[in-house]
Amino acid sequence: MSKRLRVVVLLLLLPVVVWAQKVEVREEVLANGMKLLMVERHDSPSVVCGWVAKVGSVNEAPGITGISHLFEHMMFKGTKTIGTKNYERDKEILARQDAVRAEMEKEYSLLRGKLRRGEISGSIYDPENATPRLKELKAELEKLYAQEKENIVKDELDQIYTREGASGLNAFTTEDQTVYFVTVPANKLELWFWLESDRLANPVFREFYSERDVVREERRLRVESTPLGKFAEQFDAMFWQSTPYHHPVIGWPADVESISRKQAEAYFATYYAPNNITAVLVGDFDPQKALELAHKYFGRIPRGPQEPPEVISEEIPQLAEKRFLAEADTNPEVHIRFHAVPFGHKDMYAFQLLADLLNRRTGRLYKSLVEEKKIAVGEPYATFRPMKYAGYFEVGAEVKEGVDPTAVEGALLAELERLAQEPVGETELQKVKNQQLANSFRRLQSNFFLMLQLALYDSLGDWRFINEAPARVQAVTAQDIQQVAARTFTKENRNVAIYVRKAGTSEDPELASLPGELKAMVKQQLAQIAKMSDAEKVELAIAQIQQMAATVPAPVKPAFDFLLKKLEKRLAQLQGEGKEE
Amino acid sequence: MVKGRVFVGAFLLAALASAGDIPQRPEMLSFPPLTFTVPRAESFRVLLPGNVPAYVAEDTLLPLVTVQVFFRGGRYLEEKGKEGAAQLLGTVWRTGGAGALTPQELDETLDFLAAQLTTSVGGTSSSVMLNLLAKDLDRGLQLLFDVLQKPRFDEARLAKAKEDLIAELKRRNDDAADIENREWQRLIYGEDYWLSRLPTKASVEAITRDDLVALHRRIVNPANCVVAVAGDVDKPAVVRKLKTFFEGWKVKPQPVPPVPQPTHKPKPGIYLVHKADVNQGRVSIGHLGAKRPLPEEFAITVANDILGGGGFTAWMMSRIRSDEGLAYGAYSSFGISDRYPGTFRASFQSKSSTCARAAYLTLELVEKLRRGEITEAELATSKNSFIETFPRNFETKLRTVQLYAQDALTGRPHSYWLTYRDNIRQVDAQAAHKAAQKLIRPEEFVFLVVGNVEEILKGHPDYPEIQLAKLGPMTRLPLRDPLTLQPLE
Repeated sequence: MSKRLRVVVLLLLLPVVVWAQKVEVREEVLANGMKLLMVERHDSPSVVCGWVAKVGSVNEAPGITGISHLFEHMMFKGTKTIGTKNYERDKEILARQDAVRAEMEKEYSLLRGKLRRGEISGSIYDPENATPRLKELKAELEKLYAQEKENIVKDELDQIYTREGASGLNAFTTEDQTVYFVTVPANKLELWFWLESDRLANPVFREFYSERDVVREERRLRVESTPLGKFAEQFDAMFWQSTPYHHPVIGWPADVESISRKQAEAYFATYYAPNNITAVLVGDFDPQKALELAHKYFGRIPRGPQEPPEVISEEIPQLAEKRFLAEADTNPEVHIRFHAVPFGHKDMYAFQLLADLLNRRTGRLYKSLVEEKKIAVGEPYATFRPMKYAGYFEVGAEVKEGVDPTAVEGALLAELERLAQEPVGETELQKVKNQQLANSFRRLQSNFFLMLQLALYDSLGDWRFINEAPARVQAVTAQDIQQVAARTFTKENRNVAIYVRKAGTSEDPELASLPGELKAMVKQQLAQIAKMSDAEKVELAIAQIQQMAATVPAPVKPAFDFLLKKLEKRLAQLQGEGKEE
Repeated sequence: MVKGRVFVGAFLLAALASAGDIPQRPEMLSFPPLTFTVPRAESFRVLLPGNVPAYVAEDTLLPLVTVQVFFRGGRYLEEKGKEGAAQLLGTVWRTGGAGALTPQELDETLDFLAAQLTTSVGGTSSSVMLNLLAKDLDRGLQLLFDVLQKPRFDEARLAKAKEDLIAELKRRNDDAADIENREWQRLIYGEDYWLSRLPTKASVEAITRDDLVALHRRIVNPANCVVAVAGDVDKPAVVRKLKTFFEGWKVKPQPVPPVPQPTHKPKPGIYLVHKADVNQGRVSIGHLGAKRPLPEEFAITVANDILGGGGFTAWMMSRIRSDEGLAYGAYSSFGISDRYPGTFRASFQSKSSTCARAAYLTLELVEKLRRGEITEAELATSKNSFIETFPRNFETKLRTVQLYAQDALTGRPHSYWLTYRDNIRQVDAQAAHKAAQKLIRPEEFVFLVVGNVEEILKGHPDYPEIQLAKLGPMTRLPLRDPLTLQPLE
């Protein structure tokens, strides 16, 4: 059943014969501008189906950040036919919800004023800040939610797919694209065309306001309740200056709270028009039949009135090194990030090889930081992330206990500097090219990932990247790599994040041995110590505690000794930071 | 019935011809039949010297080949006081060099070939896996066999692996999810069961090279071994190479002892672990699951799917996420495994003030299941989903041979796959109901809650009657020191 795909011989600088894969993709464009990419593979009686809307958080403006992601949730809420018992009644309830929400917006606007003037604190959305009118409106909205619920056929899209043997229905949103996918049995491809064209042609954004509770939980889960999530978000915001990559995909919380249905409808009309969408099918099907179905189902959706606007903002050159020093629930880590190039740039192949040269146990970072200098744990990493309009290159490592993070920073930078100064040796370069080649095959092993790559590449630029990249990687020279490194790894292009373990987190066994009431007191003090940023003040505190420790009763003394130790550690930390500058 | 459906479909299609041939509802579509025949295990199976079963498939889609050698035996064999030895073996087996090659030489050789060679030691089984370009198979097999038989366990690489493991231990309390998983196993299986015996700084420091050599010797034995191969190869040629290797492997066959079974009886109730700096609680509810053979396997699988296993179509997701917006995810799983019982676990993450409410809802849904309130439509959706997604178990040749190799490893008969779909078809509402009543027992539930306990216990002002405390006796579990696992408070 399987068939051998065509292989092409490439000529190389080195006298080694290398084979590259060519994925046979059939590309079709419908009259309305929608693109269809098809790859036949008959190993298993199923088809991986996906489509990508070429829109993500990069297309969002201040005030509506997070709309792409919220929208992704909306696309599962049904259509005029799916997900409802009575669409006419739906329309009525939704209109009334919008009216109440508009009234609430007026109250929120007042609360924003109060917050700016310092008359309330926290968030305008905190229940304790709600005005009587707002409470009234909220109660009304709750009633409308209840009515809406009665009229909804819960998760009907999922129900239908599941009942018909489809699996893995899901979607994700990134900075640059939103991808929707599912795997269907080979005989039910038409079901996919029916359901997906229906949700593009006739969507109804049900539960538009209540779904925000789910998005808030998602934010708690991914960002707020993970050790580094909230810091990573702020590091990103520090790194990107003038492109919309500055804001997180999930959106700033205040924006997500206030997005209106009107904004969502405008967004949909602009970015979910067929001329901004590529569908991808990989698996056991007949492309000719699939094309007929595409004309029949997707063909009924009209082209958007105008092409989606281009993203105009460019990342302005960074003028000074930026540093981000965080105390978190984590082992110490150093991450260094540089502005690089976007997807499709001629230098991206050199950047990929740069990362490969640094990675793995045979890579330069491991050899230097782990084997030679013995200052890092695990495997240090390098990563190149080309996005649609800009890209970055990052290296990082976990710091070995007792080692100053700045020593790790220095060692990471030294390896980057070496790449900028000396050309890479032939064998070393060939090694990473061999890996790229083998990986170009490995990436094609799964139908799902093949679908995903075609969707991602096409939304970033061109799906043909999948066939062109292997040869272009092989053509990179040692000189190309050196030039790219020299241009990129400069001091003013550098962004350094240093994470140290937050003082006073519960992992300290010495703290555990203190009696209960003392422990509470000590914990409070530890929080204070963690906030101290002035070495002189710490010295003063040490002197005070030393004095007191001499006179306190014996049972209390361990607490003082413990605090002293922590203060001294803090002092050393602060002085360490000072030295480095 | 089939005939009837086709007729109705055709009738409606004709009626809708004016609407551009697109039927009004997806139910009106008719699909050609799809037959799927399970690829027979016998067609891949070969017996190697020493009675080692091998499953070999030719797959010419890509110029790659994968060879995986599995072994029974894993973490449950660790000696007391040497917890962490299995994980270290999994690492140093590969990183520590093999045969004539030092660790660095082995790394460089494999990387230049762009070959992936990985070793892993899991709970009850271990494996060595090679993936590389098919043209390099001979060289790759040599390296694979060296790693299997002659690992060097280099002392420096062992020291490095120990250091990395200790750094990993330090992270133990950083993520609430890790705390939840660790305490869940302790509560369900008891502190002394092998799953709950975790590495500490002291146990890791106590591990020597000799310990790894000894553990490797127990596991890596032809009597415990199964092989799977798939890729762009000539089957007879690969089998010849494997035969030569296994013929030359002269060790006394010595099977590993069976996996010990848990004896602990968990005390039902609410268990709370405090982590101050998170605004979301993580909740797990359940008890011990089951081990094969289980007569109700298919009935409980369907019942759990309807309760919380089926994602958006399941009751938990529908009620807790879609209706109430209390969580991003809410799931249940009923663990049935071949070597030791899994757990029944319903879990979700919700903001502190609504953890109790989501727990109440979960219990309500469990009761609904035990009362047998499954509709025919829900049953049909679930069963159909299992039946129609079944071919995806055999999606690639590699997955197929790995699946059969797993059977050979655990002792599950290959016929399991031949009868699977019929077994699912036979589950009716009554069977699902009975299985749920027998196998999901709320009176035995353990509730584990990890998060800001004070906030979670306050509950929600709008629902003062909903209190975790009402669900059972409450026990505060201490956070454990990440390096010693001794209670911190």
